[in-house]
Amino acid sequence: MRSRIIKWIDHRFPLTSFVKHELTGYPTPRNLSYWWNFGFLAGFVLILQTATGIFLAMHYKADIALSFDSIQHIMRDVNYGWLLRYMHATGASAFFLVIYIHMARTMYYGSYRAPRELLWWTGQGLLLLLMATAFMGYLLPWGQMSFWGATVITDLFHVTPFIGDQVVIWLRGDYTVGDATLTRFFALHYLFLFLIIGAVVVHLVALHKVKSSNPSGINLADKDNIPFHPYFTIKDLFGLGLFLIVYCYFVFFLPDSLMEPANNIPANPMKTPNHIVPEWYFLPFYAILRSVPNMVGGVVAMGLSVMMFAFMPFLDRSRIPGGAHFRPVYRVQVYLFLLVMLVLGYVGYVPSTNQTVLIGQVATLCYFGSFFFIPFISKAEERWLIKRGLPPEVKIQMESEALAIENRKLKNHNRSSDKT
Amino acid sequence: MNKLLKITMFCCFSVHAWASDVTLEKIRIETDISAVERGAEIMINVCHSCHSMKYIKYRDLVAFGIDKQKVDVWRGNQSLDASLLAQMSESDTLQAFGKAPPDLSLMVKARDGGANYVYSYLVGYYITPEGMQSNYVYPETKMPDILSISNATEGTQRAEIQRRARDIVSFLSWAADPHAAERIRLGYYVIAYLLVLTTLLYLVKNQIWSRLK
Repeated sequence: MRSRIIKWIDHRFPLTSFVKHELTGYPTPRNLSYWWNFGFLAGFVLILQTATGIFLAMHYKADIALSFDSIQHIMRDVNYGWLLRYMHATGASAFFLVIYIHMARTMYYGSYRAPRELLWWTGQGLLLLLMATAFMGYLLPWGQMSFWGATVITDLFHVTPFIGDQVVIWLRGDYTVGDATLTRFFALHYLFLFLIIGAVVVHLVALHKVKSSNPSGINLADKDNIPFHPYFTIKDLFGLGLFLIVYCYFVFFLPDSLMEPANNIPANPMKTPNHIVPEWYFLPFYAILRSVPNMVGGVVAMGLSVMMFAFMPFLDRSRIPGGAHFRPVYRVQVYLFLLVMLVLGYVGYVPSTNQTVLIGQVATLCYFGSFFFIPFISKAEERWLIKRGLPPEVKIQMESEALAIENRKLKNHNRSSDKT
Repeated sequence: MNKLLKITMFCCFSVHAWASDVTLEKIRIETDISAVERGAEIMINVCHSCHSMKYIKYRDLVAFGIDKQKVDVWRGNQSLDASLLAQMSESDTLQAFGKAPPDLSLMVKARDGGANYVYSYLVGYYITPEGMQSNYVYPETKMPDILSISNATEGTQRAEIQRRARDIVSFLSWAADPHAAERIRLGYYVIAYLLVLTTLLYLVKNQIWSRLK
């Protein structure tokens, strides 16, 4: 019976072949390390956020007179409402942690290199969507930090040339952050879920076209690819188990550690908190914003700092594959970059003093410097490594990539000469 | 790559609360019913005249296990579903202190330092050389030294006041997060389950991967 139903479906919809090609039989490099688990984990956290978010929305009231109380209603009266809310709030942090590790892996192993540029850029788009969603979600509890965080960030749009003031009013729906802002942020927070799901589908389609990179940095022979199921389904499930242990530890034992105490005070437009801090995942970018003395410059620098990752395929001019694996200088660069991120995070967190502003400015320069110098350093490193001698498999890969580029050029040339 | 892991770990665990300038006294919060009940009693007799606890209903106190007869006395002719609203109206307290006393339902969560802050604040009153009352933790406070620790000089008297302050904090901690005990109890089961599950998944993973040559 079952096979007959499947046969009926397959005649009309490519179910079996889709499952075979894209899920169970999807060829995956067998040497993937645990750093390749984080894409799956990000997908899992997305589902977790969706599931908890939908149930929270059933009890939440998007109205400035009711929203703070409705959160307390969820925390106190709704059955396991506290669990839903803590899972959702911790889930936001978990999402960023997983995504940042996923990105760090891409940077370290050079997974953004050709032919995976579009995969990397769709990921960059996902990062922006995620940031917007998290920012809007943070307003919903209508606490002090929600209100003032949203006020500070929407204020930044004043720097839009010519129509700055209008843009800010358009975003807020009012002259200040108020009821109109809360209701639209709630609507958009929910809408962005679907945009993220759509972008994830595009990200996965791009992935399945170019397939996963792998820690060796070299395209593997077919025999080194293994079917996704059962090898990677079980490996991802084991990784998921480890992730859930850490996640549940935070949900059940330290749920308030990632929440700002001031957000347990209802929003008060008449009283600014002593010290406005964003959530931890925005701290490095917030530090860059604060490091530039001029507001327009600060906003541009902050926007650019998030977008810098998209330029990596152009900035990294080394022809040596495998990212930091074969490139000692690049490896040091990646570690230094992560260190700069931590310093910026610290600077974004502490109240600003002369000293921290100076540290922040130096770190900001280092941040942009580490992107700016990549083209020169990567080229110089390439020359040095070729002179020193590369492993034969790397040489073969470089030659085949060079050959592919030559062939493409030749084809284009022939095509254009055919036309004439 | 191990370094990266360590850095990431450091990154997520180094996010801690930003403590205020004064050093707060660290206390262990007692979570048993008797401590919470003693705290509730002090709250009703002392704090309740000015401070509300609008997210707590009398029914919640009974459900937690506080003696029903006591709660009946506290609520007087109010219904069990009534919230613990302040006895004085907000306009009266505003007139008396120049500032509306904050709701206490979430007080322990709403301050950097949490329970330690509230405790240190309650026992932080002292008499300045000018003979005025002040507070180490929050000098701008409008609240009088309600436990009168600033006048207490004897050790036993101070110890008694500190015990009362600890009871208040126990009650406020419960009020800020009434499901905390349930959450932690459930957490042990969840983590234990996940440890077993993850171990099994690891074994299955090794089993499956051993098929590869």
